[in-house]
Amino acid sequence: MEDLPAQVADRLQALSFADRAVAWLYVDDALALIAAGGCLEAYGLGALSLGAPAVEQAAFLEGLLPLVETPWLFPSIELAAGHEKGRVADLHFWRDEGGAGDGTWVLLLEVTSERDATRRLQQKAYDMTLLQEREAALNRRLEAAQAELRAQSAELARWNKTLEERVAAQVGELGRMSRLKRFLAPALAELIVSSGDESILESHRRDIAALFCDLRGFTAFAESAEPEEVLELLRDYHATLVPLVQSFEGTLDRFAGDGLMVFFNDPLPCPNPAERAVRLAVAMREAVAALAAGWRRRGHQIGFGVGVAQGFATLGQIGFEGRFDYSAIGTVVNTAARLSDAAADGQILVTSRVAGAVGDFAELGDIAPLAIKGLSRSLAVSNVVALRAGSD
Amino acid sequence: MTATVQKKICMLGGFSVGKTSLVKRYVQSVFSEAYLTTVGVKIDKKTVTLGDRVVHLILWDLAGEDDMSSLRMSYLRGSAGYVLVADGTRPATLETALSLRRRVEADHGPLPFALLLNKNDLREQWAIPDGELEELRRSGCWVRSSSARTGEGVEDAFADLAARVAP
Repeated sequence: MEDLPAQVADRLQALSFADRAVAWLYVDDALALIAAGGCLEAYGLGALSLGAPAVEQAAFLEGLLPLVETPWLFPSIELAAGHEKGRVADLHFWRDEGGAGDGTWVLLLEVTSERDATRRLQQKAYDMTLLQEREAALNRRLEAAQAELRAQSAELARWNKTLEERVAAQVGELGRMSRLKRFLAPALAELIVSSGDESILESHRRDIAALFCDLRGFTAFAESAEPEEVLELLRDYHATLVPLVQSFEGTLDRFAGDGLMVFFNDPLPCPNPAERAVRLAVAMREAVAALAAGWRRRGHQIGFGVGVAQGFATLGQIGFEGRFDYSAIGTVVNTAARLSDAAADGQILVTSRVAGAVGDFAELGDIAPLAIKGLSRSLAVSNVVALRAGSD
Repeated sequence: MTATVQKKICMLGGFSVGKTSLVKRYVQSVFSEAYLTTVGVKIDKKTVTLGDRVVHLILWDLAGEDDMSSLRMSYLRGSAGYVLVADGTRPATLETALSLRRRVEADHGPLPFALLLNKNDLREQWAIPDGELEELRRSGCWVRSSSARTGEGVEDAFADLAARVAP
């Protein structure tokens, strides 16, 4: 550089600093500002007092002096950032070695243009990075939402499966209930289904009270009447008797035209089967008597008879898949049927065992011993005339 | 006579966490939605009164830490304390802030600092569990959530730090 003519050196200096604000400070070791110069205004340093503490006047010096190393550079410092025209400078620090005194030079060399150029590039890079971060965050949220959706779908599928199983179970339950209601009082059918134990419907022996009833004069009526009239009479007859059977919690064994069989103490036990059977028989007789009055008005002479017996029978489901009935088989059933056959209109014929069980609350009338088909000897039989007053 | 002291405070944190906005909110009480990245350092000044003393806080707002450029630790020379800033909607910036704290302590020793989880006005995007803040508090960090947009937590953070660096 020494070979450069003064004019060239001056020109170079002018070119180098044409667009740069250069300023300088000189601070002694007591941290007093000894000298300052250049474009101090550009850095908000226009009102400096020589001899006063440097750090109080140039706040950016706080903590930096005395120097730990020399030379020292703080690049790209924007001074008076809150100022609208804050300039950016590289701060160069170096100790005065061999100069006028002991102190530190501070050179502010403007780099605003370079800082702005760097900032434009950095801004684009950061904007891009932020976009990528946001995209990644959105993807994570999307994946989380999809995972949640998949989990909810799986949960829904599980619920559907459970629902299907419950529906199937309930349909099965309804089917069993429907079958049971054919021969059990609804309350008893529900009890069996809810307990889930249908083993009581399997074949077994039990002491039961069997009730048989049918109409007197029905065969003659059926032969002379129109089929529609016969069916209407039977509908009224059954609609009257079946609710009574259910209210007395009897097990309805079967309908056969005008004949109807009911038994007690099975499939659910009851403590007084004979009493219940007789009470039902009396209620049936009263109900059919009311019906018969109407039939008589239409010219039909139809009566009603009942037979009740007690004894052991074999009980269980009889039939085949799709057509099961719950039924009782045994002498007690035959006996009740024969007693029903033998009963005159309005009679309720009972065996001596049944008579013994109901004697306390029923008025009984003696009947001559009956010869029952299938039995070797005649059977002692009583007629239930009425229930005693206050015996309910 | 009122005593006057001057303290250098550095703002540290990842890029785009809101360091410049926090300083702007604190010094000028304004907030700008536009994001303008910082290169190098911006120096600003805020004067606060603590009891019978006036404290000039010289705020060095340092360029954010990123993958390309690492913080020049020399900028912290002479600093009395610092504010660590993280973006509550970007969990990685908390890691950056805690990493900066370790580096500062390695180079300059344990200095008073405040950790701000900024942008708490964006609660629907908040991604740092409350439990993590509690964990940091239990470990001795002065940590708060803040918002340069609303100003929430800003004054408190600087006031608390000023009281600690100029006791």
